[in-house]
Amino acid sequence: MVVGDIATGTEVLVIGAGPGGYVAAIRAAQEGLDTTLVEKDAYGGACLNRGCIPSKALITGSGLAHEAGNAESMGIHADPAVDMGKMVEWKDGVVDRLTGGVEKLCKANGVNLIEGTASFVDEHTARVAHGGEGQGSESIEFEHAIVATGSRPIQIPGFDFAEDHVWSSADALAADSVPDRLGIVGGGYIGMELATTYAKLGADVTVVEMLDDILDPYEDDVKRIVRERAEELGVEFHFGEGASEWSEGADGGYLLHTETEAGEESTYGVDKVLVAVGRQPVTDGLDLENAGIETDDRGFIETDDRTRSAVEHVHAVGDVAGDPMLAHAASKEGIVAAEVIAGEPAALDQQAIPAAVFTDPEIGTVGLTEDEAEAEGFDPVVGEMPFNASGRAMTTGHTEGFVRLVADDETGFVLGAQIVGPEASELIAEAALAIEMGATLEDVAATVHTHPTLAEAVMEAAENARGQAIHTLNR
Amino acid sequence: MTVEEFRLPDVGEGVAEGELVTWLVAPGDRVEEDQPVAEVETDKALVEVPSSYDGVVEELFVEEGEMVPVGDVIISFRVDEDGDAGEATAESDAGATASEAAAGDDEADTTEPDDEADAIEADATETEPATPSGRTFAPPSARRLARELGVDIAAVDGSGPGGRIGEADVRAHAEGGADAGADGPSVGSASDAPDPKPAPTPTDVGSGGRTSAVKKRDAGGADSETGAADAASAASDAPDPAARETTLATPATRKVARELGVDVDDVPTDDTRDGEAFVTGEDVRAYAEALESEAGAVDAPADAPDPKPVDVSGSADAAAAGGTGPSAAEPSAPGAADETVPYRGVRRTIGKQMERSVYTAPHVTHHDTAEVDALVEARAELKPQAEAEDVKLTYMPFVMKAIVAGLKEFPSLNSELREDDEEIVLKGDYNLGIAVATDAGLMVPVVEDVDEKGLFELADEVNDLAARARERELAPAEMKGGTFSITNFGAIGGEYATPIINYPETAILGLGAIEERPVVRDGEVVAAPTLPLSLSIDHRVIDGAEAAAFANTVMEHLEHPLLLLTL
Ligand SMILES: Cc1cc2nc3c(=O)[nH]c(=O)nc-3n(C[C@H](O)[C@H](O)[C@H](O)COP(=O)(O)OP(=O)(O)OC[C@H]3O[C@@H](n4cnc5c(N)ncnc54)[C@H](O)[C@@H]3O)c2cc1C
Repeated sequence: MVVGDIATGTEVLVIGAGPGGYVAAIRAAQEGLDTTLVEKDAYGGACLNRGCIPSKALITGSGLAHEAGNAESMGIHADPAVDMGKMVEWKDGVVDRLTGGVEKLCKANGVNLIEGTASFVDEHTARVAHGGEGQGSESIEFEHAIVATGSRPIQIPGFDFAEDHVWSSADALAADSVPDRLGIVGGGYIGMELATTYAKLGADVTVVEMLDDILDPYEDDVKRIVRERAEELGVEFHFGEGASEWSEGADGGYLLHTETEAGEESTYGVDKVLVAVGRQPVTDGLDLENAGIETDDRGFIETDDRTRSAVEHVHAVGDVAGDPMLAHAASKEGIVAAEVIAGEPAALDQQAIPAAVFTDPEIGTVGLTEDEAEAEGFDPVVGEMPFNASGRAMTTGHTEGFVRLVADDETGFVLGAQIVGPEASELIAEAALAIEMGATLEDVAATVHTHPTLAEAVMEAAENARGQAIHTLNR
Repeated sequence: MTVEEFRLPDVGEGVAEGELVTWLVAPGDRVEEDQPVAEVETDKALVEVPSSYDGVVEELFVEEGEMVPVGDVIISFRVDEDGDAGEATAESDAGATASEAAAGDDEADTTEPDDEADAIEADATETEPATPSGRTFAPPSARRLARELGVDIAAVDGSGPGGRIGEADVRAHAEGGADAGADGPSVGSASDAPDPKPAPTPTDVGSGGRTSAVKKRDAGGADSETGAADAASAASDAPDPAARETTLATPATRKVARELGVDVDDVPTDDTRDGEAFVTGEDVRAYAEALESEAGAVDAPADAPDPKPVDVSGSADAAAAGGTGPSAAEPSAPGAADETVPYRGVRRTIGKQMERSVYTAPHVTHHDTAEVDALVEARAELKPQAEAEDVKLTYMPFVMKAIVAGLKEFPSLNSELREDDEEIVLKGDYNLGIAVATDAGLMVPVVEDVDEKGLFELADEVNDLAARARERELAPAEMKGGTFSITNFGAIGGEYATPIINYPETAILGLGAIEERPVVRDGEVVAAPTLPLSLSIDHRVIDGAEAAAFANTVMEHLEHPLLLLTL
């Protein structure tokens, strides 16, 4: 113990107030456990402050502006002017309401909130250093800990986020003006969401990606639809190139240098460079070794299906516990961690975790693709419904994409879904429910869906897989 | 390493549940096959449950004192891979079938498995469901229920479309559907369990049962301390919250505590594990009960732990303060001086049996008295001979023989009524149950084939059964198969009683004490040894006249013991 330390005790210590940590803390308190939540920066974590929410706010704002300016076919003639500063201010208002809400919910549920940076002293003690000089620190003895310290953007050599013109995703979501030319390093989901956003806001966007396509984990027909739409929006892609460095350009801007594997170099003129090449777990400064915990070679804390680390009373949830690095996965893990500590029979037994990409059009996926199902030994049957056959899709003006359901031919169990198209992020929820409930194609097909909605496409895809679709030709 | 679950095996014919009285092992203990792991009290016997695995105890799923249906998982073991060849083979067979289905005609799978492959497959079987990919199709609620009941969901047979598993399937499996061969050989008999009852506790499946009210334990603990201090002046036996910082308890115990609204840190205990206070489910219940009776006795502090509506009809103040209205329909709360005794195990078994008998069979009790001078003499004469053979000769064998004489003449008293089949079964055997009072309650061991046994043999057998009944060492089978029962309340004192028939038997004979009592002989009142008899009969089957005639035959044989030789 350090001189001046105040020692307190808690049953459950949660470190980090992102979607993993705050959810764990609230559930632990609901379970009647004395719970303390430590956050060093802002309630809500990356998701609410620099991730999901701010990005979706800007995606909606930019989408609206773009839509309004491109609706001549509907008889709408407009040329919206975007005040970027004002849009970011609006976004900040949304963030403030949500993060304030998180804080209130924690308090209302009886969670002890402490602001500061936590680190482990030993297996049952943590120290919290309060922010700012002379603020002191306190020791907290805990019975159980939940590490939910999240992740941060990976920096690549030659691109220091401290530089004004080198952006992390957080910077891209806090910009007060739209750069004329935006270079984006990385064609993953964060890079693509921001590429779409800035293209719609009028920037000339250039995406540099080492692999030979965007959105690596997705299927070709899914990627193609998103890539072609991005190209329509003016995004320029350079595949097979890695960013090597930047230099100052003659025009007052900068040059983004890239290199292929074969050593061919190129440069692209930019005003800002967004580096979005992935995220890495935050464990530095935590002194995990004092609690007897090691991280794997990528820096993640390994956990079991009850979210326990190798040291059983210390759990890890969210991005710091590895893939999938998604907010809803973090929250699910947080709930399981709290319930396991409370002695409930909880476990990470979900069949699938859905994922969404908020590009234009959106992507929503859950469970297995056809190939994956086959690799797992199923005899998959697939049904599709293209949105260009959907009445509702036509009335929104967005008919790209499709709903695809993958099921086991023998039993009819729904195994997976890939949706690309308008509102795919919402539509995927139905498929996730079907998978989780062990629903069959027949169950989905026989469920009456509202007309006219995009969700009908899910029903139609199920019918299609059964060779009984009404609105498409059966395969 | 595999983890094997072990279910409460069928410990005796027709036994559907038992109370887990004592755990003989704790998690982390190494056990050998056949080593007793728990004592379970079932249908009037205390039996030891042996492990069927070599391994290390992984988890205990049941609290001491809990009633467990036969077929419920009670404990799991971590079993060494090479620990049990028989198991491994059985499992790898199952594994092979599953992976065959998965791999189709994959050659590798059909080659002779060596030991290592065996072990790997055995491992895989743990989670191997019927579907090829290692997937089980079941909604989250069913999966959670499976964990709650300690069921490996991969082993459950789904009854839904395509084999989807529902909650009912999980429950059915938990209740003794040890249909999956992989569950281990020793539990095969669990499926014989008759009339499976719904598994206990699964009340808070999903989030439906969870209370949303948040209870801050710090505040609660402090308040209840003051509450207890107040109470202490009024009721000396009010419990003091222990208010510890930390307490060790199993998750099941913590759950009990939550359900009863008790802070485990407040539960008094002398027990420790690894130097930390250790609390069991029993401790928690006892403390919760003590808190309740305290609430009934004194004005409950407004914010004293008030976990469930406590009926405080004795105290209007308390009702107002606690906010729970008294309800006339509920049983009154125990007063401060009352003690609550659990109605479980043997006590409850007896209670249920009595209830069933009395409410099913209309009882009539016939009383008479035998004058037993000759019997007393006969016994005195035989006693030295018995002692020489190391037999303690009581009157019981004589009575048993006399009863057999009566039963042979009046078979309807040696019978069973099968209402559903519309028939009365007149029993061919003469198996007499002897009621024995034990610390735990009444037990009725059975002496079989009384008609074929000699007096000394019967004496020996009765003494042995009675002694073992008192030690609670009787096997359940030793209390089955009776055709008529005897209750010797006279051993303690008294003349007449109204014995309750040991249902589904149809008659029972109660014996008073053999004492000298006034009798009239030749117009004179003289003292003579007499034996008061109380015969209860099921009036549906036996008429009063028959009962009296039977009693006469028995008395005749008791009054003239030489007649016993004619049997
Ligand atoms: C641009 C962007 C868009 C995204 N969009 C989506 C999306 O649409 N959908 C989705 O599901 N996910 C999205 N994500 C991912 C999502 O934000 C993360 O998966 C999620 O935030 C992870 O939650 P977490 O609780 O694990 O960690 P975080 O949200 O990272 O929270 C960790 C918290 O711990 C605190 N902390 C760290 N160390 C300490 C310490 N030592 N002491 C005290 N506090 C500490 C941090 O300050 C932080 O607040 C996006 C991410 C980005 C960057």
